[in-house]
Amino acid sequence: MRLSGSSVRAYADESIAAASIACGSRVLSRSLKYHRPRTFFCFEGHCSGCLVRLGGVPNLRACQSPCTPGAEVEGQNAFPSAEIDLLGAVDFLFSRGMDHHTLMTGSSVLNKLANKVVRQLSGLGKLPTHAAAELPEVGRFDVDVCVIGGGPAGLAAASTTARAGRRTVLVDDQLRPGGSMRTDPRVGRALAEHYGAETVRTGVAVLARSTAIGFFPEDDGGVLAVSAPDRLYRIYARHWIWATGGYVVNLPFPDNDRPGVLAARAVGRLLVDHGILAGERVCIVETPAMEQDVTALAQALTGAGADVTRVPLADVVGTRGRGWITAIDTKRGKLDCDLVAVAATPAPASEGARQQGCSVVLDEHAGGFKIVTDDAGRTSTANVWACGDVTGYQGPAAAAADGARVGANVVEAG
Amino acid sequence: MAGKIVLCRCEDVTLSDLEHSVSRGYRDIEEVKRYTGFGTGPCQGKECLAVVALQLARITQQHPSAIPPFTSRPPLAPTPLKLLAKDPGAHRFADETDEGED
Amino acid sequence: MQGANEDEEDESRADVSGEIRLPATLEGRTGNVPEKAEIAIVGGGVIGLSIAYHLARRGLTDVVVLERGYLAEGASGRNGGGVRQQWSTEINIRLMQESVELCRRFAVDLGVNVWFRQGGYLFLARNAKETARLEKNIALQNRCGVHTRMLEPKAALDIVPELDLTGIVAASYNPSDGILFPWPFLWGYARQAAAHGVRIFTQTPVGGLEPQASGGYLVHTPRGAVRARRVINACGAWSPRLAELIGVQVPTWPIRHEICSSEPLKPFLRPMVSELSSGLYCSQSMRGEIVGGVSLPGHGSTYRMGSTLEFLATYARRLVRLMPVLGDIKILRQWAGPYDQSPDGNPILGAAPGHPDFFLACGFVGHGFMMAPIIGKLYAEWLTGGTPHEIFVRSPLARFADGSGAHHEKEDFNIG
Repeated sequence: MRLSGSSVRAYADESIAAASIACGSRVLSRSLKYHRPRTFFCFEGHCSGCLVRLGGVPNLRACQSPCTPGAEVEGQNAFPSAEIDLLGAVDFLFSRGMDHHTLMTGSSVLNKLANKVVRQLSGLGKLPTHAAAELPEVGRFDVDVCVIGGGPAGLAAASTTARAGRRTVLVDDQLRPGGSMRTDPRVGRALAEHYGAETVRTGVAVLARSTAIGFFPEDDGGVLAVSAPDRLYRIYARHWIWATGGYVVNLPFPDNDRPGVLAARAVGRLLVDHGILAGERVCIVETPAMEQDVTALAQALTGAGADVTRVPLADVVGTRGRGWITAIDTKRGKLDCDLVAVAATPAPASEGARQQGCSVVLDEHAGGFKIVTDDAGRTSTANVWACGDVTGYQGPAAAAADGARVGANVVEAG
Repeated sequence: MAGKIVLCRCEDVTLSDLEHSVSRGYRDIEEVKRYTGFGTGPCQGKECLAVVALQLARITQQHPSAIPPFTSRPPLAPTPLKLLAKDPGAHRFADETDEGED
Repeated sequence: MQGANEDEEDESRADVSGEIRLPATLEGRTGNVPEKAEIAIVGGGVIGLSIAYHLARRGLTDVVVLERGYLAEGASGRNGGGVRQQWSTEINIRLMQESVELCRRFAVDLGVNVWFRQGGYLFLARNAKETARLEKNIALQNRCGVHTRMLEPKAALDIVPELDLTGIVAASYNPSDGILFPWPFLWGYARQAAAHGVRIFTQTPVGGLEPQASGGYLVHTPRGAVRARRVINACGAWSPRLAELIGVQVPTWPIRHEICSSEPLKPFLRPMVSELSSGLYCSQSMRGEIVGGVSLPGHGSTYRMGSTLEFLATYARRLVRLMPVLGDIKILRQWAGPYDQSPDGNPILGAAPGHPDFFLACGFVGHGFMMAPIIGKLYAEWLTGGTPHEIFVRSPLARFADGSGAHHEKEDFNIG
């Protein structure tokens, strides 16, 4: 494939993001307001760090786009390039922040200028170069059980309901199902693949690279719309199981968005799933709640040859680096590094369940807005269930057990 | 880079932007969303909603459980128009049936 | 209308740098409403806040605004921000000419950016009937001094090269129409009104209106009751519910209109584009998003503001047909808001019959936002002793009972 005009060799089926990071390519775009450099953070298709222009279409996620021969990948929103962007000066001009609501309202001449400048600076990515090749027909599933999320909880739940004879469809938004199993050295890629294969073997219809985009109440009983790469699906089900897990999030410290600050789970995913050691001197910034997860990751990174330092969040005072990170500043001094892995409790991905009316509650230990369930896994909405990290962070092993248990309860409920 | 603590990377919303918003009286999660723009970018809050909500609870000295999430709006992920255009639920206007479209 | 010199600063603009905060903070979450006020405005949408701001500017500052939710929660925070002068009735054209002027000055007059951008409005016709409708409107608009013109389809392509002209037979274009960003509009009015002394209470629903022997009402809220000499009903689609509290029937009903926003793109689309046959409209916001909607007939009266797949699919179908290059553009977010639909498409203004202290400011059928700057100004002039503008004379609630509104033309150029 070609990345910003240079040829890059990549494995087929590898994501563009993984291939880019393996070949040392770094900054991909610039942020909207302050033109801060942007690049990979989550490696799971949820943040906006790795948006690139691909084949003439803007704002596609490099981490969820497989490499194809001859693919043209371009950075966005920077002049002359994402690595050296003259508009980066905006960040320093407004180093104490900018209230764009009151910016330059002093006179109409200045205000007209502000309007012109802001419009030119706005937007991320240019219009596509061509019309869409085709408008695909919409597919449809009528099932007993729809499981949303193909991580440990979702795979376990879906194979449980399918094994009991329930027609089951599973929707997963990643390149390959497996979820957090593909990121955790305690579990590993092999188990993810075993679970995935088991799910298919039990007869579950697996929609990979497919995202539940909304639950709409308009049809009788409601319809879940799912977008796959090539078409939209309408899914009708008697039971719904939310097993969407959690989103990796950043932690609050100065210049926490510098390229080279990645989610710890992304660093784990690169190592466990792709066999890529993303840095040689890795600093892990962590909260106490993630202690066990970080210990496992640190061991795995060390085992792969990295030099690993663990730093509590409370000790971090800043980051350094031109472009990519070169050091973090802590209360105990400067630590040189070429990668920072941020380990925060993942935030439950509960927004889809909320569209079905499920109650959620903000809980710091759960990582965010967790779905409220009873002991059986029932949410506050009839026939809607939840299991795994979306009900509060558990980790892959516990999530898999939870998924199997809730799947059995769904079977029992009819 | 200038020492900013970024909470929402899509819209460049910093911790001090959040504090500024609260100081101006925009302190409900929906008001903060509108004033700062957090959660309105390509990730639609996946990375920032929980982070901002927890910081908001701290700044306004409320128990986290008192902070609701902002309204969950479809689509839950950016969805190309071309995938939606042939959905059978689309309304057909008179000018489409006249042309005998599919 | 204020001075034409746009560089002249509005001297009544209060200094709000830093210190003045939104009243929600000033009043505190548990703070009580004042015991009495000259005017209580119910509804903190753009109409209520515009009236409050203009009253305060004219020196009437003993005003409270009671908003049941947060500012921008209702239709004022849910619309597409379109501001146009292409209407079918002379009074709306003339009012909107003044509103456009106020929008142009808003950022400097009120100290808050609303990103008003005059990129024009381009209406597209697909048959002779629609063309005739545009031609009739344009003749009227031109007489009023609005420079709308008919375009051949090919000329529309000069303005929006991304259009697929198949089936388009004519277009109308007025370059001075525009769009703005709705939310800061409310904040601007609220901050300036508050700086002048108006007290604005959010999260404060009105639960009762108790008529007083001496005139006026005791307005009950969870923060206590305020004795107001006059009450203004600016509740938008919820206006009938407030009026019911004193037995007044307001014959408007809520129609849900959906809207959506795309990923932000670098600027390419100058005007608001609208297609008459489907009510499709879209424009590019200051943030670069394509914001737009489409008409969905037949959903009746409802306060339910959920989103539908029907809307998303209909919008996608029509937009990709009109601008095929948008096929790979991604929708980020959809939502809905209520139009306050009136039987004749015109607003309802002035005191309710038999209730001289209960004023209405509702029935704006989806264009209350763009009308608010001028309506608030005229309302405030009237309530502070000025002569009522013609709009108040022709928009009383009584017209529905006595037929007095029948000789006025109906506005039929609503879109979305």
